[in-house]
Amino acid sequence: MIESTPIIDFHAHAGNWTNRAFPDNPEVYIKQMDITGVDRTCMNCIWFGDANWANNLVHNRFVSAYPDRFIGVAFVTPHYPEECIYELDRSFDELNFKFLKLYPDYYGQSSDADGYKPIFEWANQKEIPIMCHGRYGTDAPGTTQLKRYEKFTKDYPKIKWVIAHAGGGTELDSVKTAKELPNIWLETCGSGNPLNAVSYAVNHGLSDRLLFGSDMPIMDYRNQIAKVITADISRDDKKKILGLNAIKLLNL
Amino acid sequence: MGKVDLNFMPNVPVFDANAALGRRHDKRVNVDTVEGTIAEMDRTGVTKALVYAPHGAAYDSTEGNQILLETIGNNDRLIPQFCANPTFDKIDDFSKSVNSANVKTIRIFPPLHNYPFAEWVVGEWLDWAESENIAVWIPVNYETNWHGALDIDPTQLHDTLKNRPNVNVIISEIKYADFPWIMPLIRSLPNISVEISRWVIIDGIQRLINAIGDQRILFGSRFPDSPMSPQLYNLHHNDLSDSSLKDICAGNTERLTGVKVS
Ligand SMILES: [Zn+2]
Repeated sequence: MIESTPIIDFHAHAGNWTNRAFPDNPEVYIKQMDITGVDRTCMNCIWFGDANWANNLVHNRFVSAYPDRFIGVAFVTPHYPEECIYELDRSFDELNFKFLKLYPDYYGQSSDADGYKPIFEWANQKEIPIMCHGRYGTDAPGTTQLKRYEKFTKDYPKIKWVIAHAGGGTELDSVKTAKELPNIWLETCGSGNPLNAVSYAVNHGLSDRLLFGSDMPIMDYRNQIAKVITADISRDDKKKILGLNAIKLLNL
Repeated sequence: MGKVDLNFMPNVPVFDANAALGRRHDKRVNVDTVEGTIAEMDRTGVTKALVYAPHGAAYDSTEGNQILLETIGNNDRLIPQFCANPTFDKIDDFSKSVNSANVKTIRIFPPLHNYPFAEWVVGEWLDWAESENIAVWIPVNYETNWHGALDIDPTQLHDTLKNRPNVNVIISEIKYADFPWIMPLIRSLPNISVEISRWVIIDGIQRLINAIGDQRILFGSRFPDSPMSPQLYNLHHNDLSDSSLKDICAGNTERLTGVKVS
């Protein structure tokens, strides 16, 4: 039975990535969104050292061209700390972006690094949600997401943290983190697809804090949405994960 | 408002071309029994599944294949696929075991078993596969606790198989990062098919069909590491003709295994 429910993709990238042979033509995204039933896609661009350039690309190519279909997500990099606060102010006040995506892997340090402090302080003051990964290649042995986010949620209590690739990924550590801490959401996309990942999180009481994401243009929307649609969970929980939770989180 | 079918089930018979059955030495797998596998097949609308034993990959094909047959018992929805190590197994004994179990497909692991996929290593086995019409599955990669993410060498695949046009080879678990080499490989060699359990790249199904048509693409799940249904959902939302959908979901695997799903 086909039914209507709002569907928001929380995690997609703008910018060409040619070794996946995918140009970031918004019409290709929209075609996929229409096939899959996705109403709106949250677009970030993390593939440039110049965050100003990246955010403008998101805004000009996607959000302002198709305001009903795309939501802007800001990016800044602590490689250029002198630009961060200006770019954050501009992204949210002028471009009207809805949350911040950080990618510490490209910074070569984890999100705990000092370079992120001014960004977190800014986001805490403005109550802006932040999406980034739970773990990094640079993590010391024994690092857990729980320890990491315990500190974050205490130091920056007004930030809503979204852990990317966590709700449908292999990081069961992230389910524990979200269960024990307030203000943690888990997003579902990823090329891996562990058995029962979504139902595992739901069965741990997290159905209000899971967010569907696609990772376009790397992944196909259909494979990613199917993780939620075909999971062994209730229809109401599917609807929450597909869009209702994102609407609440971002006040859409 | 997005329109979706929250109770999706496939509407064609399905033959899963990539599932494992049985325990592993390096972790407790999600599902390791016939009952658990059949339960997931019933939940997701999968009719039959081609299964191999992880022990046959990691340690010993002879024992692994034996364990597989014992585990399957007389269940006719689980079709055995034998693992082989051409650098160790005796081809005559292996051939006998394949015949007596009426097995039509094998799975080999060049990087895991530490040999190049080259004529001077596997030539005799390819002769045998060709003469007995045995299809050969080669996963891009197979990870264990003692073997990391070392992938098959695409040049070896190409250089060996270009001289072996009558051997059916299925490259299994191709993934998005393999795009730059897998596309030219399948375009250049018509005897190579692909199994798509990990193929989640954007517009992946259409890209494959555009390159090689619908007869060399096999649905697979990678169960029990991954669920069976997401790739089925994708296939059902790709505007495929009925016959393309049927062939990718089951027909192509039926042809290679000689087993009908219904
Ligand atoms: Zn991403």
